[in-house]
Amino acid sequence: MDGEDGSGRAPSHARAATCKLIGMISKLIRRTHMYLALFLSPWIVMYALSTMAMNHRKGLEEIFGNGPPKFERLKVVDVPAGVVKADSPRPENAKRLLDALKMDGMHNVPKARADGTLVVVRHPASAPVRITYRPDTGKALIEKQQGRFSFLLERMHRRRGYQHPYGVDKAWAFSVDLVIVVIVFWVLSGLWMWWELKSARRLGALSMAGGLALFAFLVAVL
Amino acid sequence: MTFNHFNRRLHLYLGLALLPWFFMYGISSYVFNHPQTFEQRFKASGVPLWKKRFERHYDVPVPADGDLKELGARIMRDAGLNGSFGTYRQNENQITVYAHTFWWSTQAKYFVNEKRLLAEDRAFRWDHFLTGMHARGGFDQDSFLSDAWAVVIDIVCLGMLLWVASGIYMWWKISIVRGWGWVALLGGVASFLFFLWKM
Repeated sequence: MDGEDGSGRAPSHARAATCKLIGMISKLIRRTHMYLALFLSPWIVMYALSTMAMNHRKGLEEIFGNGPPKFERLKVVDVPAGVVKADSPRPENAKRLLDALKMDGMHNVPKARADGTLVVVRHPASAPVRITYRPDTGKALIEKQQGRFSFLLERMHRRRGYQHPYGVDKAWAFSVDLVIVVIVFWVLSGLWMWWELKSARRLGALSMAGGLALFAFLVAVL
Repeated sequence: MTFNHFNRRLHLYLGLALLPWFFMYGISSYVFNHPQTFEQRFKASGVPLWKKRFERHYDVPVPADGDLKELGARIMRDAGLNGSFGTYRQNENQITVYAHTFWWSTQAKYFVNEKRLLAEDRAFRWDHFLTGMHARGGFDQDSFLSDAWAVVIDIVCLGMLLWVASGIYMWWKISIVRGWGWVALLGGVASFLFFLWKM
């Protein structure tokens, strides 16, 4: 349909309104892109550093050794009677033991030992803590795993999923989902912002085409 | 060209060049964060995960301990497999060689006492395709292309760090958004530290 000036374009006030709307959307996209990036920058730094550490695991092992990280004794504590019961399943005993020690949180319970010793490995973000409860003494040995900074990064990187019953772990899994959604948003909003910059279209297209070609090649041959 | 302009262009072109990897890491992370969803869907399909390729008599010496890479390479050769691989001692009687590309995976199980080699192909799954790409890395394969992938991963990681640094610089240069920017940045740092503390 022709415009008021017969040029075939939309009327000038309509064009101005469209331009204004696009400008507002553009500004909203730019600001959202930036504020989300600022908020999630610790996650991105952690994922970048941990990925590098995992990518160079072999080199790090050559420098620091590749044996399993050792546990260092922290303390031995008395466990109140009735916390660990001989007739209770191990997961329930483990939960009660952690509650009694005020250490409840994400954990796993390794295989049962023949002598009745209960081992629980608690997984805080910092470093795994092993609790070894011996029914004959009623005491629990608490040990913390030693390790490099790269182990902490790797543990944070691998921590995910909603399978654990603890609120903080579910919140962390939600933060991982947020990072995922935001990555997709950054990609799309980045493309939008690039396209708006006419002076950067050619080099941008070259960069993107180069990246896509390399990615497609490696995915095809690897 | 001013530094500000250079910084903006670096942020942009780096983003465009590394976009496929960044997008892949984002999408594949969803599979890692929701594994049950994909497992249930695959189980419902009724397709077996592993399908026997062959099973035959096999007898090679197995080192008592130490590096199994050489043994893995020999089993790969004898089984007619190629691609990247890892060799694992499942137990005293079983050595498993896991061979994979982004598109297929095969495991060769060598049962030492029985002198038997069983090769199985894994059914193709898009979720495994994505997680396979996500998890691939390192310089431990004797392959130029595998090393090239690992080098690109390093570049992506450096790119991510540069996006953060250049993004913070760009934010700082826009004085009208500094207030809310501080809220976002400090809110993110505080949330992250909270997780470190409470988990």
